[in-house]
Amino acid sequence: MTAVTCELCPRGCVIPEGAAGDCRIRVNLGGRLRATTYGRPSAVHIDPMEKKPLYHFLPGAPVFSIATAGCNLHCLNCQNWQLSQRGGEEMEEIYRLDPPELVRAAREEGCRSIAYTYSDPIVFYEYVYDTAELAHAQRLANCFITAAYINREPLRKLCGVIDAVNADLKAFDDGFYRRVNGATLKPVLDALVTMREEGVWLEVTNLLIPTLNDDPAMIRRLARWVHDELGPGTPLHFSRFQPLYRMRNLPPTPVETLDLARREAKDVGMEHVYVGNVLGHEGNSTYCPRDGTLLIGRVGFMITHYALTPDGRCPSCNERIPGVWRSAELFGEQP
Amino acid sequence: MTREPDRSSRQPERRRVLALLGGLGTLGLLLPWLRTSAPARPVQREISLHEADFYRPHDLAG
Repeated sequence: MTAVTCELCPRGCVIPEGAAGDCRIRVNLGGRLRATTYGRPSAVHIDPMEKKPLYHFLPGAPVFSIATAGCNLHCLNCQNWQLSQRGGEEMEEIYRLDPPELVRAAREEGCRSIAYTYSDPIVFYEYVYDTAELAHAQRLANCFITAAYINREPLRKLCGVIDAVNADLKAFDDGFYRRVNGATLKPVLDALVTMREEGVWLEVTNLLIPTLNDDPAMIRRLARWVHDELGPGTPLHFSRFQPLYRMRNLPPTPVETLDLARREAKDVGMEHVYVGNVLGHEGNSTYCPRDGTLLIGRVGFMITHYALTPDGRCPSCNERIPGVWRSAELFGEQP
Repeated sequence: MTREPDRSSRQPERRRVLALLGGLGTLGLLLPWLRTSAPARPVQREISLHEADFYRPHDLAG
């Protein structure tokens, strides 16, 4: 009987033969670890880029979005728990979509990018990597939507094929991570710094849950850390909580709390601070940090106004807005 | 007195058509049953599972 140690994420699961890791989908069969959902997504959709949310990366582009079962976190408020908190054998739908078929399907649907999303794509790492490599060869961008609970070595390798990340920073408190997510804070912070070092486009989302992580002092510490370690131009999204899964006892986040978080983050110098899950809020839109010009107006996931210059500058003051605004910035001009 | 027309020469042809129709009907009724009552067969080809990256044998002594 050969047990194996999975070194993908900080859990470091020791998996006896015939058993699965904490994520439910990485299984030890005969002393070899198998990624059981490779090529077998259970969610396949076309979403707008704004839904990820990625606000400074190819705005308005449709993204071919996939996920398989399983997750290495166990958030009490998970909004995709039917997918993330179950194993592959429990899925109502399993598609057979190997990397070449997936890339072909994305192209046929007119998508110039693929998002690995919904559950945490860390757990279907090999499927992401192989698909992303093929996608790049065909000038498709790769977006990775994650809670960033991953070890450094696999992350560095992955960054070579990933173009944009939206990472959840769930709270600036290790106790919160342990109680609510079944994880720890430090590896997440390390992963965000690694992503920045590797030059991947990075946006950060913080879901504010009433009474659990909405303390203004904690929000300020979080924003200051993002400012100092990732840079003031990093888009920071404060997202509204909705009562879901095992956390139905708390109300949705009051809009005033989101406004307050936005002010705190701007106060420490963050330049692009957004409010998510509140339709029509002014914090859905992008403004020039220098002169306040409305650059990209959004209502929900819809773009209602676009004033950036083709090279991503404010049309009034010529301030360069950080982001990836055209796919030519990733792949060069189309030959 | 009228006489029935002699149709005896056409009787064998009709019998064949009726037999064919009857046979097809029986087959149509039996096919679904035959299909469901077929003995279960083992899966002929195992679908391979992709080997994961980033793992090592666990050192129980360590």
